[in-house]
Amino acid sequence: MSQVIAGEDVYAIAQDIFASMVDGDVGTIVPWEGPPPGWQEPVTAWVDLQGDWAGRASLTTETSTAHALARALLGFGEDEPVERADLVDAFGEVVNVVGGNVKSLLETTGSLGLPQVADVDPGLPGGLVLSEMVLAWHGRALELVVRAVL
Amino acid sequence: MRALVVDDSRTMRVIVARALRTLGFETDDAEHGQAALDKLAATGPVDLVCVDWNMPVMDGLEFVTAVRKDRSLRGMTIMMVTTESEQSQIVRALAAGAHEYLIKPFTVDAIRDKLELLGLVAAGEPV
Amino acid sequence: MSIARHTFAYVAEHVRRTSAIQLDDGKEYLVESRLMPLAREAGLPDVDAYVARLRAEPGSAAHDDVVEALTTNETSWFRDVAPFEALRRHILPEIAERAGARRAPRIWSAACSTGQEPWSIAMVLEETLGPDVRAEVLATDLSTQVLERARTGEYSQLEVNRGLPAAMLVRHLERHGMHWRVGDALRRTVTFRRHNLLDTPPSGGFDVVFLRNVLIYFDLPTRHAVLEHVRTALRPDGWLVLGSAETTSGVHDGFERVQVGSTVAFRATAATRPGPLVPPPPAGRSAPLAAVPHPAAPALAETLSLLRDAAPTPTPTRGAGLT
Repeated sequence: MSQVIAGEDVYAIAQDIFASMVDGDVGTIVPWEGPPPGWQEPVTAWVDLQGDWAGRASLTTETSTAHALARALLGFGEDEPVERADLVDAFGEVVNVVGGNVKSLLETTGSLGLPQVADVDPGLPGGLVLSEMVLAWHGRALELVVRAVL
Repeated sequence: MRALVVDDSRTMRVIVARALRTLGFETDDAEHGQAALDKLAATGPVDLVCVDWNMPVMDGLEFVTAVRKDRSLRGMTIMMVTTESEQSQIVRALAAGAHEYLIKPFTVDAIRDKLELLGLVAAGEPV
Repeated sequence: MSIARHTFAYVAEHVRRTSAIQLDDGKEYLVESRLMPLAREAGLPDVDAYVARLRAEPGSAAHDDVVEALTTNETSWFRDVAPFEALRRHILPEIAERAGARRAPRIWSAACSTGQEPWSIAMVLEETLGPDVRAEVLATDLSTQVLERARTGEYSQLEVNRGLPAAMLVRHLERHGMHWRVGDALRRTVTFRRHNLLDTPPSGGFDVVFLRNVLIYFDLPTRHAVLEHVRTALRPDGWLVLGSAETTSGVHDGFERVQVGSTVAFRATAATRPGPLVPPPPAGRSAPLAAVPHPAAPALAETLSLLRDAAPTPTPTRGAGLT
C-alpha cells in the first residue's frame, strides 16, 4: 500500500533543513523558476525507507553545488577544497535528514537505510514518483524526489 | 565540561561538535556506538553524550542501553540527536535511558535550549 | 550591510505609533534581520527597497506585517527554565498553602506571542497539581495573527525542538503529519484573548502574571502604566514574573523583589495605591521566600517513570529536565 506524501510537506522539510543547518536563515530555498536544469556533472544522494512502507528520497544537483553545500555544512571557507569523502558524507547527510523527516510523515513504522551517493542516479525499479521538485538554493538547482515502491 | 559526539556522518559530528564548543564544551567524537563505548572505556565518563540513532555496528538505542547497564558510566547525560522523529521512537529512547531528544534538523539555539534544560549550560542569555 | 537612516526612522515611528514599542537607535540590525524575509517574499533586493514601497502605500496591509515581524519574538518553550521551575517548586506550593485546596490558581500569560509560554505554564500546572485541579491560564497578545497561531496549538518540528523537554513533548503533544499538536487536557486550561497591555486589564484576580521580555521594549512612562495595570489584575500578594533582564525597581513601587530558587520574581505589595513614577530607592524590602515545601518528586521524573512502565531499564541518575 502506498501513502500520500504531499509535495508541500517535502518542500517544508527542505526549507527547515536549509534554514536551520545550512544557512541559518529562512528563505534560502525557493522553487526553481524557468526550464528544468540540464545537468552537466550531476551527483545524486539517496536514502531508502524500509518496512511497511518502502520508498526512497533522493537529491540531485551539480557536483559544484554539492561542493558548495558541503562547504556550508562543514564550515569551510568559500574556496577551500572539499575532498570526495567529505562531499559524499555532507551531501548524503542532507538526504538522510530529508528521508528521516519523510518517514515521520508516514503512519506506518519502518526504518531508514544508510545514505548512498553516486554520480549517476540509479533509478528505482518499480518506483512511483510521489513528489518531485526543483529548488533553487542561492540560484543553484537541486532536484528532490520522493518515490514509493509498490 | 566534556562531550562525546557519536554519529556515523562526519558532517553531523562537525556540526554538533562546533555547536557544543561555542557553548563551552571540549569535544571528542566516535563513528558509532561501539567506538563510543571503546572511547569511554579508555577515557572514563564524559558530562554529555550526543548520539545519533541510525549507525552501523552499534546504533544509538543499543548504545544508550549499554551505557545504562554500565555502572562505571553513571552520571553521564545522554541526548539522542537524530532524524527519527515518530512519537513512539522518542518514547523508546527515553525509556531506554536517554535524558533528552533533539530532532534533526536543529539550530544551535535548539541545542542550547536542551542543554539549559539539562542544567549543562547556564540559562537566561540576554535577548 | 546596513539599512538607510530614513528607513529605520520610518519603521521605528510606525511601530511606536501602532504598538507603543520603542525601537531605539542601535536596533537597526533587528529591523534589517526581521524585515529581510518580508523583502525577499515581496521579490525585493533589500529592506530599504521594501520600506520605500511601504512609504509609497500608506496604510497598506504590509504595514501590519512589519509590526508583526518586529514585535514577535522567536519563543522557546520553558524559556530560561528557571521561571518555570520557580513556578513549580515555590510559587504554586505557596499559593496552595495560602488559598487552600478550595481555589484553583489563575495565571495570566501577558504578551503570549505564539503560545509556547502559556502551554508551558499549563504543563507545569498539570504536572504539579494533577489533572483534577481546574487551573486557568489566560493568554493574551496584541496581535490577532500570533493569537490565531497560538490558539491552533500546532507547532513545527523546529519549534518543538526549542526548549520543550522530550518527555513533555510526547506526553502533552501529539504528532500529526508535519506538526505536533497540543493535547485536549492543556486546551481546557488555556484561553486565548486579544488584549493591549495599555488597556484596562482582564478582571478576576490573578495569582500569577507572566510578563516576560515585554517591558524592555517600552519607555519608562509606558512601563509604569503597564505595571499599574498588572498590579490591578493581581490578587493581593500575587506574583509577577518578568524577563531575566527586567525589574519593577525604579519603575513602580507596588512590587517587591523576591528571590525564588535560582531566579527572582516580584510580589504585589499590600498597598493598592498607584505608585509614583520613580519611587525612592527600595530600603531592604526584599525578603527571601519563607520555607516552601518542595513537591515530593520532580514532575519530569514522574513523566519518565510513566514512560518506563513497560521497560524495566534502570532509571537514569540525572533527571531529564527541570531539575
